Amino acid sequence: MNINPVFLKELKVRMRGWKAAGIIALYLLVLTAVAVFIIYTVFTDLYTSSIDPQVSIGAYTGLAVIQFILIMFIVPALTAGAISGEREKQTLDLVLCTRLRPISIITGKLIASTGQTLLLIIASFPLFSMVFLFGGISAKEIMQLFGFYIVTAVTIGSIGIFFSTHLKRTTASTVFTYGTLAFLAFGTIFIGVFYIRIFYNWDYQKFLPILYSNPLAGFGSLLAEQFGYYGGINAFLGLSAGSGQNSNAANAISPWLGNIIFDVVLSVVLLIMSAARINPVRKSLFDTVRIKRKIKNKD
Amino acid sequence: MLSIRNLNKKYGRFQAVSDLNLEIPEGEIFGFVGPNGAGKTTTMKIVCGLLRATSGEITLDGTDILQNIKGIKEKIGYMPDFFGVYDDLKVNEYLEFYASIYNIKGQERKRITNDLLELVDLVSKREAYVDSLSRGMKQRLCLARSLVHNPRLLVLDEPASGMDPRARFEMKEILKNLKGMGKTIIISSHILPELAELCTSIGIIDKGRMVISGSNAEIMQQVYNKKIVRIKVRDRLDDAVMILKEYPFVDKLLTGENTIQAGFGGGEEEMSRVLSDLISRGIPVVSFAPMDGNLEDVFMKVTKGDEEQ
Repeated sequence: MNINPVFLKELKVRMRGWKAAGIIALYLLVLTAVAVFIIYTVFTDLYTSSIDPQVSIGAYTGLAVIQFILIMFIVPALTAGAISGEREKQTLDLVLCTRLRPISIITGKLIASTGQTLLLIIASFPLFSMVFLFGGISAKEIMQLFGFYIVTAVTIGSIGIFFSTHLKRTTASTVFTYGTLAFLAFGTIFIGVFYIRIFYNWDYQKFLPILYSNPLAGFGSLLAEQFGYYGGINAFLGLSAGSGQNSNAANAISPWLGNIIFDVVLSVVLLIMSAARINPVRKSLFDTVRIKRKIKNKD
Repeated sequence: MLSIRNLNKKYGRFQAVSDLNLEIPEGEIFGFVGPNGAGKTTTMKIVCGLLRATSGEITLDGTDILQNIKGIKEKIGYMPDFFGVYDDLKVNEYLEFYASIYNIKGQERKRITNDLLELVDLVSKREAYVDSLSRGMKQRLCLARSLVHNPRLLVLDEPASGMDPRARFEMKEILKNLKGMGKTIIISSHILPELAELCTSIGIIDKGRMVISGSNAEIMQQVYNKKIVRIKVRDRLDDAVMILKEYPFVDKLLTGENTIQAGFGGGEEEMSRVLSDLISRGIPVVSFAPMDGNLEDVFMKVTKGDEEQ
């Protein structure tokens, strides 16, 4: 089996030295501190030392939120310089003049950077498994959450790589990646609220699809659904199956599932556009038609 | 082997390469000469599939490069004028990475890496980080990288730029080795005497146009319309000059210390006639040989013309 050489090289470079181990250690330290704090607080609030599912739900939610925030911050930093960094170091041409296809370069970079994130996620497994001690959370739910993390990480990575291929400087690419994330997380909510307030249109079904692009909405709805709540974000979206908010509800998909579909489509589009961008001899549709005509005339 | 026909490249309104035509047969070392911004790098990048031509046709072994770039890349090795290196990658890992791109695996990859390190004299540095190498070493490593897939055509853009004289000499020796291995090489450089010594043919490009191309002798003939012959005498320099002046096909006489540089309009027969005459009239001729010519003079002459326009 041929493993993407760019991925292997990136992995070798990224994992060399103390930096990678240091990042994992720091990451786990933050998560552990959060877990200990939450468990301590919940125990104190409940005035109990017995095993209570409330403890696990509190700890699980706290860890899940912190991990999600960390992913949102770490992935752009790992991907926004993937191609622009190569350009700055003047190494991009050396790879482009080989037989490697631009899409392989892009996917190699993406897999390497999200792979590093995946390593952080996997490293946090033991911490998450702590919640099993208190019950209330199933392994399936944790897997569901981790699946959502991976899709979100790949999407953020694709956004980072997209800007990295389209902008010359890593700094600019990083700023635009974080900016786009901020827009998806907060801008889409702002647009929704703005729409309702300005047009007094409480028929929010018309604007709600925009929230499918919101990672926070997707994440919130996943946790809410796992705990059996159909209020909160799901009620706001009015799309959770069984929420009974409106006639469309029963047929609609969950926001987190909608967010995953949006993420997958967005990632594919961005990666294709990134590969096209770094292809130095890319042809436009017009060129393809012209070449075909030329070949036809020759025949 | 490589054929470029009517190549054009425009950046917006700027015409970087204009109707460039070139034929490079197999095994040739073609020296690409031109002032900065003349279009050398642009042409080289187009040949390597790193830039799209505006129009024109480039074929390598009869295959159109512009339409089949993926297949062609296997046959071309490229060394750019500026290049970077990856941090945290060792010399052998650097070469192995590029070998893996060409699907070279296991022991074969190790063997190729060792052979190439030997060729560029970097065996002792195989475990060193690329970042820690001197500029000359990095350039040799980059040359090794371009050879990793055993390409038939090597495109080397200013391979000796910024090198000290020793490093330049070492690079020249490596290129001579590659010449011996039968590689076809396109090389651009500003160090013209070295190019003249190394290359089997030269092309001078200016403002995107190929001003002149051919073997050294052909270029001299085209530029000066004559062969240049260098004659060295032990003494009686003035007598020798007088004799040469008697021949209508000899002109452009330049004299130095016991040497004469003369333009010959005729062929080998005329040259042997003049040599016999000099000897029969008692001129102590030490040497009598056609010169390859001074590429720097030619370069200045053919590019100066455009500047004056």
